[in-house]
Amino acid sequence: MTAFRRDLAIGVVLVAIAAAVPFLFPVRYVITQMTLLFIYAIVVTQWNLVLGVAGIFSLAQMALFACGAYATAMLGLYLDWSLWAAMPAGAVIAVVAGLLVGLACLRLKGPYVALLTLALAQVAYLVIITDTDCFIRTETRCEPFTGGASGLRRFGDLGLREWLGRDWIIGNYFVGLGLLVAAMTFSVAVVKGPLGLAFRALRDNLGYARSRGISQFKYQLVVFALSAFFTGLAGAFYAAHFKSVGPTIFSFSLLLLLLAMIVVGGLGTIWGPIVGATLVMFADEGLREVQDFRTLGLGLTLALFVLLLPDGLTGTASRLLARWRGSGS
Amino acid sequence: MDELSQETARSPRPLLVVDGVSKYFGALAAVDNLSFEVMPGEVLGIGGPNGAGKTTLFDVITGLDRASSGHILFAGDDITRAGPERICHAGIARTFQLNAGFDTLSVRENIEVAAIYGHEAPVFPGFRVRPVIRRRVDEALELSGLTDRATTPAGELAVLERKLLMVATAIVTQPRLLMLDEPVGGLTQAEMDAFVAMLARIRGEGMAIILIEHVMRFLVTLADRVLIMHHGERIYEGRPDDLANDRRVVDVYLGDGAADLIRAALDPGAAP
Ligand SMILES: Nc1ncnc2c1ncn2[C@@H]1O[C@H](COP(=O)(O)OP(=O)(O)OP(=O)(O)O)[C@@H](O)[C@H]1O
Ligand SMILES: [Mg+2]
Repeated sequence: MTAFRRDLAIGVVLVAIAAAVPFLFPVRYVITQMTLLFIYAIVVTQWNLVLGVAGIFSLAQMALFACGAYATAMLGLYLDWSLWAAMPAGAVIAVVAGLLVGLACLRLKGPYVALLTLALAQVAYLVIITDTDCFIRTETRCEPFTGGASGLRRFGDLGLREWLGRDWIIGNYFVGLGLLVAAMTFSVAVVKGPLGLAFRALRDNLGYARSRGISQFKYQLVVFALSAFFTGLAGAFYAAHFKSVGPTIFSFSLLLLLLAMIVVGGLGTIWGPIVGATLVMFADEGLREVQDFRTLGLGLTLALFVLLLPDGLTGTASRLLARWRGSGS
Repeated sequence: MDELSQETARSPRPLLVVDGVSKYFGALAAVDNLSFEVMPGEVLGIGGPNGAGKTTLFDVITGLDRASSGHILFAGDDITRAGPERICHAGIARTFQLNAGFDTLSVRENIEVAAIYGHEAPVFPGFRVRPVIRRRVDEALELSGLTDRATTPAGELAVLERKLLMVATAIVTQPRLLMLDEPVGGLTQAEMDAFVAMLARIRGEGMAIILIEHVMRFLVTLADRVLIMHHGERIYEGRPDDLANDRRVVDVYLGDGAADLIRAALDPGAAP
């Protein structure tokens, strides 16, 4: 109960700070980057369920994100759906894709999961960039079904400009923050509840867990599906916010960025993904001036953390805290 | 005659039937055409030299490994091809020779997860641990004497505690058959006595038990019936008190010294 109160208090403070940012720093760039941070933080909290809590080394998270983003864009573009309807639909499509990925990984162990999921994401990427047949052809333009290498645009937005005018971007900011709060609450409820126990038990000792009635088949699919929902929704919101989607979301450096967020924060911890997302995002911002070193810096950070602080910052901090308390009493 | 054997006499249907089961690893027959039965409430002790196939037999019965041939029936149902989850839900719970545990989960969480998923498969386990489950977990903690250790991560437990925890996670699934693979190996005399006391309480609830053990004194005092395996085959099946008089068992497994100790254990009055 005290741990719950503590987490709740931390959450409330963080949300209050985040809510004040657009008014304290009413700069378009800051607001856009913070919105992007919320999007990445959602992906990372959900990825953490698979990677950290269930211990399944899936690298398909950005492909699921792309499912949500592309589905939203296509529903808006080809079926004229409102993006408010297309976004949840995109999330559901990501869940279906997540189930398929989970199914494909069912019999695989450790590194093979990483290889397969990376390959699946690569296939999706290649399918999109090699798509050059005109799906929409007018005198001036030829657009492939998936948008090809240049991506999709002109599929609408969240329509907040109509009531907020110039402040629509702040409206979007709060939609992003709301989604992050929902995603975070969801993942905490999962981790702290019976589902989290099942995922962790399967991770710790597969044979023993199965002998205690925990179905690997069912709960591996469940964790993929659960983690895909908000990831897909984040992708959908990404598309709606930036009003465009392109194959760059499959890029390896973006995957590395998000992976670094989890590892820096602490795999399998509750606050790790949020802490990691924020720190890495700010560090990345600092390195923006020196473009060439960004990926290098990321790679180095990742390597250092894996070698020196495998529990991440929050994991290490809570261990130190426990030791300090232990020696105090 | 005690209560348990009377109950056995009233319901002569065996709880577990192992019928001509073999398990091959390549050309090696780890379990070789083995047949036996276990009655409800009965305690069957299994002994035999290293590599006799005892653990493999457990793996095959509990679905972690598949029988190469033969049939296994539990409470009348064929479970030969069932997976470990289904077998657990059917009412068989086992422990492992290499002390298994969910090392990053606390002792309480270890028992909770078994209580939530082990008795029957929940369609959706919910977001909170239900009070019924909590009560069952408290009981299992109490029975295994681990109440004080409830918040300790299982990875930090000592050997005895790990063994007790494995039994606690097994019984909390409310099995009708408990299978213990070398439950007291590596324990001191006093720890072994604590274990015997706990098993006595479990037996009192009418659970059938199959018990693999090299510590013969432990095996013969607990078991109603003993089965000795060698090269995957049965070389002895019968009352524990005849064990030490069986020439083949003494030659292959016990040795003469151990045979005398068994006699002493079964009849503490007589000098060896
Ligand atoms: N997965 C496996 N692959 C190949 N051979 C195996 C495998 N598991 C067990 N064996 C072999 O099967 C035989 C039986 O092993 P098992 O572990 O069942 O013996 P045991 O009676 O439990 O021995 P112990 O008393 O040492 O625990 C041994 O010869 C062992 O080497
Ligand atoms: Mg063995």
